[in-house]
Formats: sequence, C-alpha cells, structure tokens
Amino acid sequence: MLRVPHPPRAHWKKLAQEYGFHFHTMYGEPYWDESAYYQFSLKQVEQDIEDPTAELHQMCLAAVDFVLDNESVLRHFAIPATAWDAVRDSWQHRDPSLYSRLDFVYDGKSPAKLLENNADTPTSLYESGFWQWLWLEQEVDAGNIPKAADQFNSLQEKLVARFKEIAYINQIDQLHFACCKDTKEDRGTVQYLQDCAREAGIENHFVYIEDIGIADTDVFTDLADRPIVDCFKLYPWEFMLREEFAEPLLEQTLGWIEPIWKAILSNKALLPVLWKLFPDHPNLLPAYFEDELSSGLSGKWIKKPLLSREGANISLIDLPTGHTQMLSEGPYGEEGFIYQQFAPVPQFGDNHTLIGSWLVDDQPAGMSIREDKQTVTQDMSRFLPHIILD
Amino acid sequence: MDATNQKRTRGIDLSKMRKSFALKPLIVGMSGVMLSACADNRTEANIYTSVEDCIDDYPSAADLCRSAYQDALTEAARTGPRFSTEYDCEYEFGPNQCRQLDTGGVFIPFMAGYMVSNLLSPKRYYTQPMYTSYSRHSPFRSRWIMADGYVFDGDIRKRKYKVREDIYKPKPTVNRTMKRGGFGSSVRAKSSWGSSSRKGSWGG
Repeated sequence: MLRVPHPPRAHWKKLAQEYGFHFHTMYGEPYWDESAYYQFSLKQVEQDIEDPTAELHQMCLAAVDFVLDNESVLRHFAIPATAWDAVRDSWQHRDPSLYSRLDFVYDGKSPAKLLENNADTPTSLYESGFWQWLWLEQEVDAGNIPKAADQFNSLQEKLVARFKEIAYINQIDQLHFACCKDTKEDRGTVQYLQDCAREAGIENHFVYIEDIGIADTDVFTDLADRPIVDCFKLYPWEFMLREEFAEPLLEQTLGWIEPIWKAILSNKALLPVLWKLFPDHPNLLPAYFEDELSSGLSGKWIKKPLLSREGANISLIDLPTGHTQMLSEGPYGEEGFIYQQFAPVPQFGDNHTLIGSWLVDDQPAGMSIREDKQTVTQDMSRFLPHIILD
Repeated sequence: MDATNQKRTRGIDLSKMRKSFALKPLIVGMSGVMLSACADNRTEANIYTSVEDCIDDYPSAADLCRSAYQDALTEAARTGPRFSTEYDCEYEFGPNQCRQLDTGGVFIPFMAGYMVSNLLSPKRYYTQPMYTSYSRHSPFRSRWIMADGYVFDGDIRKRKYKVREDIYKPKPTVNRTMKRGGFGSSVRAKSSWGSSSRKGSWGG
C-alpha cells in the first residue's frame, strides 16, 4: 500500500462538468483529489479487503438475526418500538438490499479493522463506481499509468445487475428515487443510482424527501401526484421513523430501498453485538455498550453516537481515568453511545487514510480511499483514486 | 491484464453517463415532459425525419403530421441547445448542422427529426424535436437525442420506441395529495446545528 504522487489530468474539471460531477469541490475545498493515488497489491486487495468484507457482511447478517430474537438487545438500538414489527417483517421477507460500505482501518500490513458499517445511506458512490474508474481508464490510455494496472471496482456493473434482480424480486419496472434538498452530493449519488437503474431497464422518477406527500388514499405521492410504491431513499431510517409521516410509513408495505431491516445493520449498536458474537475476530475492534463498560478496561476508546453521520460527535476517552477529548462536534448523541477501542487510521505524510469497502447486496464490489488532515474522517475529507499493481 | 480476472467494471457506455454537451450550451432545453408522459401511458412513439415519413404511417392524418412537425420546429427554436458560437455548435453536431437564431446571437443545431406519439388521440398528440450529431467528437454521433441531451438507445436507424405492456403490480389510486412535508424535519433540526453555510450530505 503506497501513496504515489501523480499529476492531475489537465482537463478533469471540464470533464467533471460534462459528466455532471458537481461536488468535486465542496465548501471551497477540493474533495476529488487526483494529485496522488494509492497503490495496492492484488494480494492486499483480495486477502485483506475483499475476503474480510464478504465475511464481515455475513457476520453482520447473523447479528441481525440475533438482535431481532433478543428484545433486550434490540432495545439498545434506539429504534422506536412501534417500528419493531416492521423491521422483523422486512427481515423475515428478506426484502432485498442494494448496497453498503464498510469503513476500515488498514495500513497494508495488519488485518483491516471494521470501524463501522454504512448500510443505510452510504455516499461517495459515484466517485467510487464511475469517476475513479474513468480516471484509471484515461490514465492508462494516456500511458501515464501502466497497462497492467487494475482497480478494485466492479460497483457499476454490480449495481446494474442488482437493480435487475430487485426489479424481478419486487416485480417492478419503475422506482422512485429520493434525497434531501440542498445537497449536491446526495443528489449526485442518487442521480448515479438512477443512471444504473435506467441501465437495468427500470423507469425512474425523482422526488425530494421534503416534497413527498400523502394522498387521500393514504398513499405517498411525488410532486406530480404519482403514487410512490417502490422507492430508493438516501435518507436514514432513524430519521424517517421519528417524523410526522412515520405512522403512514409503518401502515403500508412499500418496497423501500434500503429496506427497514438495514436500520439494524447501519446502527452503531451493531458493533458491540458483533464483538459479543465473534469475540477476538481479527477484523473486529473490541466494542461495548455504555452499560457494559467494566472497570477492567483500560487504554484509549472511541465514544460514538448510536446514530450519526459523517463522523460527527466522536470523543476519545482514556480508561480507567475517563479523561475525555472531543474529536468532532455535531448534533447527534441523544439516543446513546457505544465505545469502540481506538485504532488510529494510518498516516501517509500529513494524511490520515480511511478505506471504504463496498458491497452490492452481499458481494464485495470495490474500494474507495478518503484522506483527512484530521484523525476523524468527516465530510471535509478528500477522495483519492487507487490502483492495483503488483 | 487477463480480462477475465479483471477486478473493475469491464465497460461503461460513456455517452450514457454524460450529463451535458462537450461544449456547454448557453441554455439547455427541457424535454423530459414528453418522455415521462410517454412512458407513463405506455404509448408508442415514432421518430420521423420528414413530414412525408409521418404521412406514410398515417395517410389519413396528413394535416396532423404537418402540424406536429410545425409544433416541433417551434419547440426546437424555443428549447434547442444554444451555443454562443457556430464553432461550438458544430463541434458537437457536425459541420453545417447549425444555424443562427433569427433573434440573433446564439446558434442551435438543425432539427434532425421529430418524435410523435398519440397522433390520433382525441386529447392531443405529443411532439418533440429530435437531434443527432455528425461530429466525430461527439458521443451523440448517429444517435437520437433530445434537446436536454437525453440519448436514446440504438442508432438513428431505430425509429420506434415502445414501452412494454404493464404486467407489473398494480399501482394504488391517488385522487389528490392532502399534505406534504411529513419527512425531512430531522434534517431541518440537525441543520440548525453549527455553521449554516455547511450544508452537508445526510449520507455517510
């Protein structure tokens, strides 16, 4: 695993404009950064990232089974009790899921450690599945990167194939797509999924989350008053279940993607459950619920909210002293916290580097690299492309 | 590299991933209305390259063919992609494929055909200008595209776009929407935290 400085393509911003990649620069700071790339060996990718990703996903699914069978554990997930039946039903029906991203601490040598599972609303999909793919194609064509170079990235191919499967399973030929207003990044991610769905032969309609309506017949509607029957939403279940439309939401069986059982998978409460079910697994970090913290624990621990986005509200705690250092601020935490052993991401120069490992349904499908000048990767981090070259 | 073991997507149709023209037009037209209307009603749409072409299909409706053509022309002048120079327009659409608007200044491509559906419908037919490119620089070369850059499957020999029969699960009825805005309140609440200029993603 190397960080290799590399000259950016001369016209990449113009190209980004043409392809509709509008969030390559955010808050005046670069987000897409091709002034360097990361290089991995095939063995690193396959043995250290791809295989553990497939295995961890299966472990997470086993954990969902365990959680739904044990109400005392389910209680820790801060999912409103009114939604428990819907979660159980959705899990029993095996409602199809589309994608997830596991975030890893990985330095190229030691086993990758799971930081969290972004199983409900993962972003950075377009830049992973398409934009870094295009970068490699063009740089190989231009002779700037060896022809033998590859990339761990079959995301687009797998997303299109998965949409075809979902269309078959849910018996649909159309799908709504929704995200919040005022975020180019989310809109770009959803547009990419619309493109993949179209490629799979699915007709798609877009609606903003805030514009969704409820009809006289208790059906959700888009702005054209079309009924929303099947919908991909880039909006977390934990929000939807606490909002005004939660009641009609739970009264009807809709084909949501991601399905509601992903509220378990994407919850940080899954981390202590995984550690309980698979103690000392090489790809897991020790993790505990607040009420399980024993006096025997020592060292550095990360305190994370059960529900949070983009690395918000993270603290570093020294045990047993309890000395606390806030690493990031944010509006989360009212639902409770979990504690995970501190594992710093590796540094390359000034950069703290985080690996995202993608799954489409249960298939490992690619990798993304994010860098931050801070220890906690947040939404101000930069995205860098990678190659595989032995 | 052994293609069978390749760990990345084998191929992506780049023309379908493009969201705008290579040289940005000043204004991009709107044509999505017709497309979605067409798909919702599961109707058949035909592309004609001349009025005669249409009359061949509808010998008894020559007047409708002519007015659909005229409507498409009017629409083309209104919504056609606009370029500030002839060069920019020809770069995308090919030599001698562009004209200057009578109203002055900007250049738009010639309409290469028009797409018609529900021509005989008592309600009203739909008609839209269609474009194609003769430029070797353009991913639209020999493809049908609409004013907003929407690219159709297949090359320009394909003239019929039919939406298959609706054999899928029935859609519930909606008479009217009673209320909107029942989702999104958490975002408003969380957004009020911290600097309001930083409106980030709600994904992860």
